[in-house]
Parts: sequence; C-alpha cells; structure tokens
Amino acid sequence: MTLRVKFENVSKQYRLGLTRSSLPSILAHGAQRLLRRGGPENVSQRDFWALKEINFDLHPGESLALIGRNGAGKTTILKLLANITKPTNGKIESHGQLSALIELGAGFHPDLTGRENIYLNGAILGLSRRQISQRFDEIVDFSELAQFIDTPVKRYSSGMTVRLGFAVASCIEPEILLVDEVLAVGDAPFQQKCMRRIRGLIEQGTSIIFVSHNFYLVQAVCEKALYLKHGQIFHCGSAQEVIRVYEQDLHEERARKFAATEEHLAFDDDSQIEITYVEVCGSNGEQRSEHFSSREAISIRIHYNAYRALGKIHASVFITRADGLTCCMMRTMLDRVELFVDRGCGIVTVTLEPLQLISGSYFAEAWFLNETDSMGITSRPGRSDWFTVKGVGLSYTDTSGVFEPHTRWEHSHNQQGRFSSTNDMILESSVRAVVENSPSC
Amino acid sequence: MLTDLTKLLRTSDLLWAWTGRNIRARYQQSVLGWFWAIVQPAAQVMIFSIVFTLFVPVDTGNIPYPVFSYIAVVPWTFLASSLPDMTDSLVANMGLVGKIYFPREILPVASMLARLLDFVVAAMLLIVLMLIFNMPVFVFGWIFIPVIVAIQIALILGLGLMCAALNVFFRDVRSLLVLGLQLWFYASPIIYPVTMVPEHLRPFYFLNPMAGVIEAYRDVLLNGQMPGLYLAISALVAGALFVFGYWFFKRVEFQFADVV
Repeated sequence: MTLRVKFENVSKQYRLGLTRSSLPSILAHGAQRLLRRGGPENVSQRDFWALKEINFDLHPGESLALIGRNGAGKTTILKLLANITKPTNGKIESHGQLSALIELGAGFHPDLTGRENIYLNGAILGLSRRQISQRFDEIVDFSELAQFIDTPVKRYSSGMTVRLGFAVASCIEPEILLVDEVLAVGDAPFQQKCMRRIRGLIEQGTSIIFVSHNFYLVQAVCEKALYLKHGQIFHCGSAQEVIRVYEQDLHEERARKFAATEEHLAFDDDSQIEITYVEVCGSNGEQRSEHFSSREAISIRIHYNAYRALGKIHASVFITRADGLTCCMMRTMLDRVELFVDRGCGIVTVTLEPLQLISGSYFAEAWFLNETDSMGITSRPGRSDWFTVKGVGLSYTDTSGVFEPHTRWEHSHNQQGRFSSTNDMILESSVRAVVENSPSC
Repeated sequence: MLTDLTKLLRTSDLLWAWTGRNIRARYQQSVLGWFWAIVQPAAQVMIFSIVFTLFVPVDTGNIPYPVFSYIAVVPWTFLASSLPDMTDSLVANMGLVGKIYFPREILPVASMLARLLDFVVAAMLLIVLMLIFNMPVFVFGWIFIPVIVAIQIALILGLGLMCAALNVFFRDVRSLLVLGLQLWFYASPIIYPVTMVPEHLRPFYFLNPMAGVIEAYRDVLLNGQMPGLYLAISALVAGALFVFGYWFFKRVEFQFADVV
C-alpha cells in the first residue's frame, strides 16, 4: 500500500446554530423559519467553514505537522481522520490501523487501577484483550509505573497519567498515529523518550500527523508541514520552510495589529514621555531590510518625545523571539548608565556587539522607567518592527538554545594515558561578549 | 444495521472492558458492594408489602404479596436503572467521544450490561423468597425466561439508545425520562395484578411492553402456565423500538462530536 491518507477537496462546515439547547430558543428559531418561508433563506450567518478544500496525502513513514493559530482547523483535521466526524464535502481515504494520542487521561477512569486502565484504554484504541496482554509488560516498562500499576489512576500525577497514556497509544504500533499537543505535559526525559519512540515508529513505517505549537518538537519529528489559516492551507512544504512562512505571516499580522492599536491609543494618555518608535539598525545606524548576521553589531534606537523635563530616568529593552521567548533584557539600571531627559525629543541607542542571537525572527520592545527603575513612565512600550537574524544554523529549529557564543574548540588526545572520566576530551569554549551601552539624546 | 451489529461484535473486547469498568467503578469504595443490587429492590418490596397488605389490601390470589411484587420490581429496576445510565453514558464521556472513534453504542450498551448483572444478582433472591414462602417451582417455565429477558433487553436497548443520542443534543431528555419512568411505573402491573385492570382496557394495556414482560414472568414462574398472546405484542413493540432506536442512533452518531 503506497498511500496511507488522502484528503481530497475536504471541507467541513459547522452550523453554529445547532447547539441551541433550550426550548425558547428552539421555538424562536422555528418561528423565524416559519416567518421567512418563501423568502430566501438566510443561513450563511450561522454557517462556519472550519475547513475549506483541504488536499494532502501521506505515505508510509511520512510525518506531517499541522501548524496554525488556534481555531485554524488543525483539530478538525484530526477529528476527520479519526472518523469522529464526517466531512461536509470531499473525500477522505485512510488505510491502516489508526491510533491517537488523545487528551490527557481522556480514556482513563480515575477509580480504576493503572492495570485496569491499560486494558480499557487499549480496547478503546482497538486492541483485543490478548493483544494487550502480550504488550502489557512493554507498556508498563515504558511508562515507568511498575510500582504504581495497581494504584487507582486518580492518585497519579498528571505526568504519570500522560506517561501511561502515551505508553498504551504507542505500543500499538499503528500505521497512522495522531499526536495532538499532549507531550507538553511530561518531564523532559520522558519527552525525549517519546520523541525517540515516535521516530522509531516512523522508521518502521508509521505515518504520523502531529499537532504542536512547539516548533522544536515539530522540527524534531516532522519532515513535512501544513500551515493552516482560517481553515485553508496557507502553505505546504518542508517543516522548516513552513515554520518560516508561519513566523513571517505571524509577524506581519502582529505588526498590523500593533499599528492599529497604536493609532487607537495615540494621545489618550497623559504620560510625560512617549516612545514614538523603536528601530533596529546596523551599528552605523543604517536601516536594513534584510536580515542581520548574528556576528555583527546591531543598534536598537528608541525615539521619544518628552513633554516636560524628567531628570533622571531608566530604560529597558527586551528582545523577544517569534515563539514568544524573551531572549534578553538590557537595562540602563543594571549597566549603571544614567539618562537625563529634558523637554524635547531624542533617541536612546543601545548597541549589541555582536548580536549573537541564533537564526530566527525577533522584535525589540522598549520601556522608560522612573529614576528608581521601579515604575514604567510610558503608558505603553515602544515596539520595533520584526527583524530577522541569520546565524550559523538555518533556523532556530536547527539548533536549540537562544544565542550563538563566539566559540573556540580544542581537542587534545593522549593514546597512552589512563582512561579518566572527564579529561580525555577537553572542550573549551570561550565566551566573549561585549555589550556597550551608549545612550545619547 | 446488520453490518453495524457485526462491527459491534468485532469490538466486543471493548464492550466487555467498558462494562467491567462500569461495574467496578460503581462498587469501588462501597462497603456493601454487590449487595446493593439486592438491597434496593428488597427495600422497595418491603414497603409495598406493608402498604398493600395492611393499608390498602390488594388481591393477589394465592401468591404471597412479597413474592408477587418482587418478581415485578426486579425487572422494573433493571429497566428503570438502565435507562438513565444509558442516557448519561454519551454525555458523561464526551471527552472520549470527541477524540477517538469506536462504535458509539458501546457506551450505552455497556451501561445496560452492567445493570443486567444487578438484575441477575437480584433475581437470585427471588428463588430464596419462593423457598421461604414454600411456593411450587415450575421448572418447565424456565425455558421461557431467556425469551422474556431478550424481549426486555430489546426494549431497554431501543429506548436507551434513542434517549442517549437525543440527550447529546437536548439535555431535557434526562429530566423527561425520569418523569416518564415515574408514570410508566404505575402503568405497569408492579404493585397490582393485571386482573384489576378493567377488561375493556386490557388490549391497550398490553401495548405497554413492560406489562407483557412482567405478566409473563408471573405466569411462567408463579402460575406455572405458558405466557399468553400478550407476550407476542410485547415482543413486537420491543422489537420495533429496538430496530428504530438503533437505526436512529447510528444515523445521528457522526453528529455527536460536532455538538460538544
């Protein structure tokens, strides 16, 4: 069999009015329909297309990530695949046994023991009693719960529950595995174990559909990805590429939204100082439309209007990555830099030399604070446009961590020497980071 | 529908696992455990016996009132406890229904099976009662029992599947069901014999399949006679309800997950 899953022009419509559940609303609805009889029926308002003309297919051993904002239709695709709901239009083919990593403990009964729940959950996933018995030890081993297997599940921690759930769902060795953002619960070693397990399944030919907001996991598991937006495929391609497109799109959207609130908020505050805009530029102050290199120096310039003399104030600048991670925070307070602000306009510049961030997209955000650095004196932060950084790796999913230090590697080797635990390889990395803060007005 | 049934049989492991889950979960952390299956009908019969032999005497021929009512209360309890359980079964497990596919009827059917066990346990006491009251035992009648039980199960499944499916869309069903069961109790020959029903009303009376079922149990086990034509009416009504209920359930099954 060369094809596991095929979506052909699949659309799914939800009727928002269907959930009416009280008598008055049913009567009202009925009356409306009666009154409208003969006229054109106005149903479009109540209809909502969760998915529109989705096409993709999946072969054995392929792994596909579904990426998108909440409500983009990711879960609907999983539901259609799992045969929980039917498409409004289009055709879905799926061949092979399907298993799903469902919501934390959804198939578990809290009063039953781990052992009883393994049988129950296995049966829900389509295994016979004998099949479960054969895999029982493996499941218990994997979940690391041997000690607690006869304890009711209600006494388990959430991490233990998800471990048991994953162990059961993955021991089936299904041909299609759906994973819906459940692994976030376990601790890091268990997450890694799950990742190994999933990769093992892929090698054996399992096709995987993976929904996650964690791009590290997506990148670790999936080769292909679909970016869903408002129920439609916005972009489809390699996971790396799709993540990039997704981020780019997210930036633009956020920038638009921010611009809108900016207009809205202008002048409705009585603060004495206002950040007009924040720009990120090269160290010589030149504007840049392309990406920065992680090896070069950049400057973040905060343009402000001060409506009266403020005396001594402080500034702080954050750099935030596209996935929401705050990468660094620069504060005049910590760097023992003093800013004296008079009435008028000015620019505060902070230079990072070199930038050192890994590949990815970022924005900078700036605040002014009072002289004790304890209270914001700008009613809202100044925010830069998005800027992209090109590091050694292709994207931040290629590597992990936040920054790329300047490194020097050395290796000395001693063939005759005794083995020792730490000294047979010396890896040295020297970190040279100089960040100079040069405020100016 | 036949293909649906074979699919259900293929997933019988899940059906048994879920039934076991219901039974174990019900009696977990309860001291009396299984004994509750007997306590409830026994207590009811005790009250009926006091009221309807001492206060408002009901003529039950030569059958002692406790035996007369217990033989009706046990199958009634089976019905009256199964239906609400089945009705709740889908809504209570919506998390599961919305996330993974398995034949949905497993949930209500397993609720019924768990109550069937209670029914069997409670029926044991009937034998004890008949021995205590020194009643004749008609062994030949026992061959009818599987038939009567099957009719009752068809009735419960038909109604239960319908209620369970409707309850997903309209939660009023649960309240309506409780009310309906209260009325149904008096429309069935549980505390009174069929002979007290006016002759001209009897043909309509037996349209209630529970009337036929209860009367058949009494005929077969207490009177030592074959059940009459009325049981055929019950079988027809119950069979029709089962077919319709199951058909309806399968028809709306795929809308469950959309409603959550």
